[in-house]
Amino acid sequence: MLNFDWLSGVSAETAKMIFFGLYIFIGALVLMLPNDYIYEGIKKEDRHWWNNLKVWSIAVLSILATVYYQF
Amino acid sequence: MLAGIDYFIVIAYIVGMLLLGLYFKKFVSSSEDYFLGGRSLPFWAIGMSIVVSDIGALDFVGVSGQAYRYGISVGNFDWVGSVPAMLLAAFIFIPYFWRGGMYTIPEYLGRRYNKSVRTIASATWILFFALDLGVLFWASAVLLNVLMGWPIWISIMSTAGVVGLYTYFGGITAVIMTDVVQMVIMFIGGFALVFLSLDAVGGWENMVEKIGTMGPEYRSHFDIIQPVNTKSPFPWTGILFGLTFVMSNAYMIGNQSIVQRCLTAKNEWHAKASMVFGSALKMFIPILVLFPGLMAVVVHPDLLDGDQALPMMIKTILPPGLVGLMFAAFFAGLMSSVDSLLNSTATLFTKDIYEPFIKKDADDKHYLKVGQITTLVLLVLGVATAPISSDFPGIYVAIQTFMSYFQGPIFSILLLGIFWKRTTQWGGLSALVIGIGFAVFLNVFKADFFTIEDPFLYISWWSFVLGFIINVTVSLLTKKHSDDELEGLVFSSKIITKSKS
Repeated sequence: MLNFDWLSGVSAETAKMIFFGLYIFIGALVLMLPNDYIYEGIKKEDRHWWNNLKVWSIAVLSILATVYYQF
Repeated sequence: MLAGIDYFIVIAYIVGMLLLGLYFKKFVSSSEDYFLGGRSLPFWAIGMSIVVSDIGALDFVGVSGQAYRYGISVGNFDWVGSVPAMLLAAFIFIPYFWRGGMYTIPEYLGRRYNKSVRTIASATWILFFALDLGVLFWASAVLLNVLMGWPIWISIMSTAGVVGLYTYFGGITAVIMTDVVQMVIMFIGGFALVFLSLDAVGGWENMVEKIGTMGPEYRSHFDIIQPVNTKSPFPWTGILFGLTFVMSNAYMIGNQSIVQRCLTAKNEWHAKASMVFGSALKMFIPILVLFPGLMAVVVHPDLLDGDQALPMMIKTILPPGLVGLMFAAFFAGLMSSVDSLLNSTATLFTKDIYEPFIKKDADDKHYLKVGQITTLVLLVLGVATAPISSDFPGIYVAIQTFMSYFQGPIFSILLLGIFWKRTTQWGGLSALVIGIGFAVFLNVFKADFFTIEDPFLYISWWSFVLGFIINVTVSLLTKKHSDDELEGLVFSSKIITKSKS
C-alpha cells in the first residue's frame, strides 16, 4: 500500500500520459485566469502580449512537455 | 590542479562579489529595505536568485553522481518537480502573501491559524537553517578541497567574510543582486563543461548509443519515467505523488528563503513573473548538473563512486581558465546558499520570534539592527560549528532528511489554510505536530514499510495525507473562524475576478 504496489500494473507509457495530462490540466487552469488578474500591477496602456504571464506559462509548460516526450 | 589564470579568475570573482554586495548598502535605511528590499526589485533578478539559491556546490557533485548511477530520471526534480509548483505559487499563493505585505511564511500561518503554529513553523525553519549553515560551510569546503586543493579554512573564511559583509550591510537586495551575477557565472561555467564534454563523447547520439550497449544496468538510463518496482529512489509514483504533489509545492510555497525573494517585488506582476521566469530558468539546471554525469558514463565508465563523475570530468575535459571559472561557479553555489540562509534566518528570528515575544512596538531602526546582528551571530555560529561536521560524516544527509519530515505536514496546512475556510487553528496545529511525528516514525521504520532504496518521496506524501486528514477532521470538530478573521487570508474567486487596481 505505502509503496504504491497497487499501481505496478500501470505501464511507463500510461504513466507518461498521466504526466502529460497534468501539464494540460495546469495549462488549462492558467488559461482560465482573467487577463486583469494576470496583468495586475501593470498599467492598462503597458499591457502587451509579451508581458502576458499566460503566454510565459504556456511556453514553459510546452518546453516541459517536449522534454518528457523526448525521454 | 589550478593554473595561474584560474587563481586570478577565482580571486577576481570573490573581490567582485564583495564590492557588488557592498554597493547595495546605500539602499538600506529601514527594516523593510533590509528584509524585503524596500519592495522594489524586478522579476528577472528575483527569478535568477530563486534558481541559484536552490542549487549549491554540493548539488553539482551530488546530482551528477546520481545521473551517473540512475540516469536522466534525476532531472525530474528540476523539471516536473519545479514547474507546476512554481506556477501554483505564482498565481495563487504569492499574490496573497505579497498583497498581505508579509515578511515570512510563518507570519501567514500565524494570521490564518494561531501564534503556536507560527512559532512552531518559524522555530523549525530557524533550527534547520542554523544547523545547515555550519554543515554547508564544512561540506562545501571539503568538496572544494578535494576538487581543487583549496585549503578548507580559506574556503570557509573567504566565503564567510565576503557573504557576511554584503549580507550584513546590504540585506536581501545585496543577496539577490549578487545571486544574479552568481547565476550567470554558474551557467557559463556549467555550459562550458557540457559543450566540451559533449564534444569529448562524440555528440549526443553517439553517447546514447554507447551507453545503450554498456549492459542491462544502463538500459533505463534515458527513461525519465521509472517503473513502480525500480530499486532507484525515483519510481514514477514517488515523482508524481511525493515530489510533484507535495515536496515541490512545500518547497516553492512554504520555504522562507524562496518566497521571501518574491515578496521583494516592486509590484504584484513582478512577484508573479519572478516565479514564472524562475521556472523557465529551472529547466536548464538539469543540463548543467545532470548531463556531465551522463557523459562521464562514457568517458569514465569504471568509477566506483558516482560522486567522482563531475570532478573527473572537470579534470579531464576543461582547459586552464575554464577550470577557474568552474571553481568560481562552485563558489557561487556556496555563496548563494549561505547568503540565503543568513538573510532568511535573520528575517524569521526578527519577525516571528523577537518582535512578538521579546520586544514589541520598538522603532523600525531597532528591528533593522536586530536583523543585522542576527546575521552576524549566525555567521559566527556557522563558522564556529563547521568543524563539528567532520566528526559526524552523515550529518549533511541527516539535516536534509530532517527537512523532509516537515514538508508534507507544512504543505497540508498551507493548502487547506488558503483553500478551505472551515480549517481551524486546532486543525492546523494538530496536523503540523502529528504529521511531523508520523514522518519521523516512517523514517525510523522505513525498512519495515518501504521497498525502495531511499523512500523520502513516499514519506513526504504519506505524512502530507495524514496531515490533511487530521486537519480536516479536527477542524470539523472545533469552532470555525469568523469571516472577519479570515479576511484576505483564504482563497476567494474575488481575488481573481476583482483585481485590486
